[in-house]
Amino acid sequence: MKGIGLDIGSRTVKLVVCENGVIKMTRKEANTHDPLSLCRDMLCGIEADRIIATGYGRHLLGGYLPCETVSEIKAFARGSQAIHKPCSTVLDIGGQDTKAISLDDKGKIARFQMNDKCAAGTGRFLEVMATALGLSLEDFIEAAASAETAEPVNSMCAVFAESEVISMIARGSSRAGIALGIHQAVARRAVSLLEKVSVREDILFAGGVALNPCMRTQIEEQLGRLVIVPQDPQIVGALGCALMASEE
Amino acid sequence: MAPRQKTNEARRILHSTAIAPTEPLILDAFTSDPAGRILHLVLSKREQGAHVIGLYCGYAPLELIRAIKGIPAFLCASSGKTIAAAEAVLPANLCPLIKSSFGYIRTKSCPFYELSEVVIGETTCDGKKKMFELIAPLKPTHVMDLPYQPVEEGTLARWTDRVRRLKAFLEETFAAEIAAERIEAEIRETNLKCRLMDRVFDYAALDPSALHWSELLDIIAVEPLMGGEEFHRFVSPLLQRLETRAAGGIGFARPGSPRVLVSGCPIGGEAKKVLRIVEEAGGVVVALEGCSGMKGYSIRIDEGTGDPLAAVAAATLKIPCACMTPNRRRFDALDEMIRRFRPHAVIDVILQACHTYNIESWQIERHVQERHGLPFLKIETDYSQSDVEPLRTRIEALLESC
Repeated sequence: MKGIGLDIGSRTVKLVVCENGVIKMTRKEANTHDPLSLCRDMLCGIEADRIIATGYGRHLLGGYLPCETVSEIKAFARGSQAIHKPCSTVLDIGGQDTKAISLDDKGKIARFQMNDKCAAGTGRFLEVMATALGLSLEDFIEAAASAETAEPVNSMCAVFAESEVISMIARGSSRAGIALGIHQAVARRAVSLLEKVSVREDILFAGGVALNPCMRTQIEEQLGRLVIVPQDPQIVGALGCALMASEE
Repeated sequence: MAPRQKTNEARRILHSTAIAPTEPLILDAFTSDPAGRILHLVLSKREQGAHVIGLYCGYAPLELIRAIKGIPAFLCASSGKTIAAAEAVLPANLCPLIKSSFGYIRTKSCPFYELSEVVIGETTCDGKKKMFELIAPLKPTHVMDLPYQPVEEGTLARWTDRVRRLKAFLEETFAAEIAAERIEAEIRETNLKCRLMDRVFDYAALDPSALHWSELLDIIAVEPLMGGEEFHRFVSPLLQRLETRAAGGIGFARPGSPRVLVSGCPIGGEAKKVLRIVEEAGGVVVALEGCSGMKGYSIRIDEGTGDPLAAVAAATLKIPCACMTPNRRRFDALDEMIRRFRPHAVIDVILQACHTYNIESWQIERHVQERHGLPFLKIETDYSQSDVEPLRTRIEALLESC
C-alpha cells in the first residue's frame, strides 16, 4: 500500500511518500500565500492509495481530494518512532509552534505540551530577530555560534524582543552576543516545555529549527543531555503521516 | 440513584449508535433567541414590580435578592465587541471578562446594566475589585469583601457579616425589611431548583449524552430568574423531552466520541468557541465544571437552622472558586463530576490574565492525570477568534490521545 504524508506548515510544506513502510520520495517547498495551489503542484504526478495531512493547513485539502487529517502531535510521535525507535521524548520547533511530546515504552503519546498560541520562541521568532539585527538567517546563526559571551534577551514576544534588541544595539552590544542571547532564550523556552512533559532519553529534536546547530548546542547545554537530530528533521511529521497512510 | 444507574447502563449497551435530536429542547417563543428569553424574563418581572439587581457572580446570595423582591440580572461580560472601548481606560493585559463588562457599561450596551437599579460586586479578583471603583459613581454599587481562606477560623463569621451588610444595603436602598422567614422560604426555593437542575444533569451523564452544552447553558441562564414553582413548570416538559431522547437512544455523540469535561473560568459568549472546537474535533462536551456551568448546583443550603442568613453565608462560602486558598472543595467537586459524567479528557479553560485559575491549573492537571488517569489540556484564551486554529490543533491532539 502506498501512502502520502503531507505536513502543511506555516513556513514549509513537506511531502513524503511511503510504500509498505519504506520511504519512496520526499519533497519540501517553502509555503506561499496560496498553500492549496502549492500542495496541488507538489502532489502532481504522484499516485497513492491514501493521503494523510497534518500541520496548520491540514484541513485545506479536504474539500479538494480525499484526505484524512491527524494532529502534529500524532504525526511527529509516529515519525520519530520510525526514525529512531528508542526515542522517548520529541522536541519539535517549527515555524510557529513548539511541541514537546513524551512517549511511553510502547511508543504511545503519554503527554504533550505546546507553546503559547503565539509564535514566541519558534522558527519565525528567530527569523524576525535576524532581520532586526540586519542579518540573514544563516549569518545570524553563524554570529551566535561565534559569540564569546551572550547578551541576555528576556522578551519572547517578537514585538517586545525587537524593541529590546534595538535598544541593545543602541547601547553598543555586539550583534554576535545578541544573536547568542536570542538563541539561549529560545532554548530556555524549549527546555521548560520539555520539562513539563518529563524528559527521558533518547530525545529527538525535529522541525526546521533543528537544522540550526547553535540551537542544538544551546538546548543540549541547558538540558544537560544530548539530543538526536535526524538527517532531515523537517520531514518527521510528514513521514509519520505517510507511514500511517501506507498501512492497512 | 441506583435504579437510574442501571437504566443508564442498559442504554449504553442498547444505543451505542446515537441519533442526533432534531427537536429543540426548549420550545417557546425564544427557541432561536435564548438571549431574548432572558431579557424578556427580566423585563416582565420588572413590570410586575421587581427591582432589577445587577450581578457578577454567585457569591452574592440570590436568596436575599429574591427576598427583597429583586430579580438578579447577570451583567454582560462575554463579548469581545466592547473590549476596545474598555481598553481606552483599562490595561489591555487584563481578563477579557472584566474588560468586556466595563466596555458594555461604558458604551451603555448591556441592557441588564441599564435596567439595574443597583449593582452587587464581589472581590473575587483584583481586576474586578478595581473595576468596581470605576463603575461605582455611575450607579449604586455594593461591593462584598470576600474572604479567601474558606476553612480558616473566623472566615465564616467575617463572610456572614458581609452578607448581613448586603442585607442592610438592600433594605436601605429599597426601603423595605427582609424578614428571616422570607430568607428561609427562599432557601427552600433555591434547594428545590438545585434538585431540579440535578435531574437535568442526569441526562448529560448518559452515554450518549442526551443534553447538549448549549441547552444546558440556556437552562442555567433561566434558573436564577424564576422562583421554585415557576422553574419547576419550566423544566418539567424539558425533563420529559430529555427522557424521550434517552429512551430512544437519541444523543449528541457518534460512537467512540470522546467525552470531555470542561473546567476552569466561566465560559459564555465568545469563549464558547472552545466548546464548538471540541465538537468539531469529534468530541462531546458532557460536563461544564466552571461557575457558569454546574459547579454551584451541588451546594445545598441548610434549611430550618433558625438563622437563615448565616446558612446562606455558609453555603455561598462553599463555592469552589480559584480565588479561595486552599481550594480543596474544587478538587472534591471535580472528583464527583468525573465519577458522574465519565469524561475521557479534561480541558481547563483559562481566560487571559486570570491568575488564580491559571496557577491552580497546574494542580488540576496533576490531579486529573494522577488520580484519574485522564488526558488533560490547559487552554488560555480570550474573546477573540484569532486563536481558533491554534486551539483546534491542541484540542484535536488531546482527543486523539483519548
